[in-house]
Amino acid sequence: MGNIKEMEIELEKLKLQEEMVFKEMKNFVTQKTYVDAKIKVLSKILPTLKTLKVETRGLVDTIHSIAESAESISNKVRTLDCARNRVEECQQRVGDLIDLGLCSEGVQTAILNEDYEKGAAHVHRFLSMDQSLLRKTATDVENISSVLKAVGTLQDAASQLRTIVQLKFDEAVRMEDLASVERFFKIFPLLDMHDEGIRKFCNYLSEKLKDTAEKNLHAALNTSASDKRHNVKFADTLTLLFEGLARIIDIHQPLVETYYGPGRLMSVVSYLQKECDTQVKLIMMEFNKHRQTNKKINQISEISKLSSTSSFSKIEKVDPKDLDILIQEITIMHVRMELYIKFIKRKVISDIEISVPAIDERNNSIKQLDQLINASDLSRSKHDLLSLYLKLEQYFMEESVSKAVGMDSTETSQQTSSMVDDTFFIIRKCIRRTITSGSLDGICAVINIACGVLENDFCGVLRGRLRQGYPSGYLDLTQAYNVLQTSIQHGRLQPSDTEQIRTAFIVALNNADSSTEYVETLCDSVLTDVQKAIPNLNTNEQGKLESCLSGLSAVTTNLKEVIEYGMQQLRVSVIKPRISPWVDSFLNMNHQFTEDELSEYEAGESFVQTLIMNLDSLLSSFKNSLTDSNYDGLIKILITEVTARLEKVVLKSTFNRLGGLVLDKEVRSLAGYLTSATTWSVRDKFTRLSQIATILNLERVTEINDYWGNHDGALTWRLTPTEVRTIMNLRIDFKLEDIQRLKL
Amino acid sequence: MEDFKFLFKVVLVGNAGVGKTCLVRRFTQGLFPPGQGATIGVDFMIKTVEVENEKVKLQIWDTAGQERFRSITQSYYRSAHALILVYDISCQPTFDCLPDWLREIEEYASSKVLRILVGNKIDREDREIPTVVGEDFAARHNMYFLETSAKEAENVEKLFMKIAEDLMQQARSKDLPRYDSITTNISGRTSSISDSNCCSKLT
Repeated sequence: MGNIKEMEIELEKLKLQEEMVFKEMKNFVTQKTYVDAKIKVLSKILPTLKTLKVETRGLVDTIHSIAESAESISNKVRTLDCARNRVEECQQRVGDLIDLGLCSEGVQTAILNEDYEKGAAHVHRFLSMDQSLLRKTATDVENISSVLKAVGTLQDAASQLRTIVQLKFDEAVRMEDLASVERFFKIFPLLDMHDEGIRKFCNYLSEKLKDTAEKNLHAALNTSASDKRHNVKFADTLTLLFEGLARIIDIHQPLVETYYGPGRLMSVVSYLQKECDTQVKLIMMEFNKHRQTNKKINQISEISKLSSTSSFSKIEKVDPKDLDILIQEITIMHVRMELYIKFIKRKVISDIEISVPAIDERNNSIKQLDQLINASDLSRSKHDLLSLYLKLEQYFMEESVSKAVGMDSTETSQQTSSMVDDTFFIIRKCIRRTITSGSLDGICAVINIACGVLENDFCGVLRGRLRQGYPSGYLDLTQAYNVLQTSIQHGRLQPSDTEQIRTAFIVALNNADSSTEYVETLCDSVLTDVQKAIPNLNTNEQGKLESCLSGLSAVTTNLKEVIEYGMQQLRVSVIKPRISPWVDSFLNMNHQFTEDELSEYEAGESFVQTLIMNLDSLLSSFKNSLTDSNYDGLIKILITEVTARLEKVVLKSTFNRLGGLVLDKEVRSLAGYLTSATTWSVRDKFTRLSQIATILNLERVTEINDYWGNHDGALTWRLTPTEVRTIMNLRIDFKLEDIQRLKL
Repeated sequence: MEDFKFLFKVVLVGNAGVGKTCLVRRFTQGLFPPGQGATIGVDFMIKTVEVENEKVKLQIWDTAGQERFRSITQSYYRSAHALILVYDISCQPTFDCLPDWLREIEEYASSKVLRILVGNKIDREDREIPTVVGEDFAARHNMYFLETSAKEAENVEKLFMKIAEDLMQQARSKDLPRYDSITTNISGRTSSISDSNCCSKLT
């Protein structure tokens, strides 16, 4: 059984296999035609492939041969190039030789004909040839001797020409033949004599300069004292010198640049600078001699030694007015020097920028220029002049301000006195003058000096006047002031000493206040003036100026301290002694009203009405005599004193409900009055007092909770909880245990 | 508003060629420029340093030592908070001139100015002024004393930092209110110490 079943399965398998084999065979048969066609195509292609291979091989060979021939061609080209260069060189040499011949022939004729330009041109051509090459060429050429002879001739001619040109130049200078001078000046560079040419030419120019300068100085010295330029004759001479120099540089720069090339201006300037230095020194010597500068400086230092304690002294040997003219001249001289130095710098630097491309080298050249200028007598004279100027200007400023203070006078209609206007006029004048000198260091120094004069001397005088105090006198102050005012108005002013001191005090206080404004205006105007006079300040210079100016504006701090000092004087001598009795009268009053007493009190003149009336008359006595801001300052002091004193007396009194009500009303009307007296809010100063009044005006103890705590209706308290409790205790109707029970 | 709380003016004085400019350059720029030309008039540099977490701006005025610039340089003494008097330890004449300089300082500077004596160029072999002589001079004139080398950057930082610290201390002690001021209206000004009553005793 098992076998049969197995055999059947096997049979099935075989059958399946047979079927598959059939299928495959069928497939093969159908593919046969396709395959046959392919084979046919392939057998056709086969011979073509063979020829292809042959042809490819041929192509490779061709490329190889092309490469080789290209190589050989480029080789040939290189050789050709080389050959061409040699030909060119050869041509050059031939050219040189021909030129050499021509030049050597021409040069002698030219010299004989005195055609030095032509001769020099021949030499120049010769000098432009490569001398060593020339010698080598000579050995290559058959006609050695003729070439060498030509070289020799030209070398001789060159040295001959050099001598001739120098001689001719010197001769032209002697003859003052400007055309010939310029003619030979142009020949020097052709003979490779650039430095020599510039030196000689500059010496010539220097001589010319010297003549003119000496003539100018002589003329200046002979200027009669009545001449209107007499006071600035040295400045004029200096101006002429610099203008002459600048003209020389301007005229000759193109000439030098054309014939000598750019980059020569520095040496031109350095030659001219020597003569400039000599002339400046001469002028300065005569200036110092004729204007007696040394004598003046000695006098000034003598004076300052004698009165070293203060610059305001009685000894006056040199009138500052006499110095005014001299100082003016010095500033002109200084600014001329400054301008000339700037001119040279600008010219030379632009010449350097054209001729020196490398930055490093260029900076070096510029450094050299700076050294040249800084080491010159011109710079030294300029510095000496500035030093002289500063000494004189300082003396002028100090003495003039001291004079202004000494001649101080008060116009009755003015709040300030003449010394403020005068002092600031002088200081502005000095600073403006220093700005015209063109020196930033000078400007800064004068600003510093002005600071010193204002801070020490000017503020010192104001402080000294305030130190005298404000005498309150026996009379009631209001009355005293009214008497003073009416007598002033009627022009029969015979003020007593006390009144005079009072006026002086008030005026000094006002002077200090208006001076702060003057200082601020001065600072602003100086900054703009300097920026206009010296544009292009670098950041460092700007910083320097601003720092000195901030020193000047800091003078306002000193002035404010002076004002503060005066205000304290007023507080002690006027406000406090007046106010204390007025406020203290509060203590003598009853603050525990019955209804009847209240209406009676309100019908009569209440405490606050009297107080306001007194304050009003006190203030009105000052209102017109003080400047606005001083008046404000006075009111501030007054309010502080009144509120402090009132707080003290309130704390010493006891109140009932109606008493508290009245107090609250009175505090309000007092605050209202003082607010109306000023332009700013006084509420802040009244906060504590108002809060005290509010507490004393409460209905019940617990009502405080409406105002205390963290809710919307709460106040920002200036009083501590302990203070609140103490104040509540002043109400006779509040129970102690209720107050203690409060949670604050 | 600039970012500093204190501003101090420091002025350097002393004979020509003692190295004032080099000290300033070393401190402000970290450089030692060789072949420094003579200063003309007054030079001006600023450096902000930090002392106790506060920014301190030092305004350094480097004056020319040459006589002919004296009237320019003198005008800066009055507002100086600190004056550095420099001499060259290898050059006796620069030390011999110190009394003249002190006279000038007495005459023109505020009496409260902080004064520092500096012996510069200690890198040099040819010392002429022994340290103790400088110390002695400084002690006699109530000055702080330091020897420096701008070339080797020795004590330069210390010098200026010490000045900044001392000036700040002075300024702080002055900042306390002087009286119950009703008109304190010196607003926005950087604290400076024009008339500090703090004595400048340095040890």
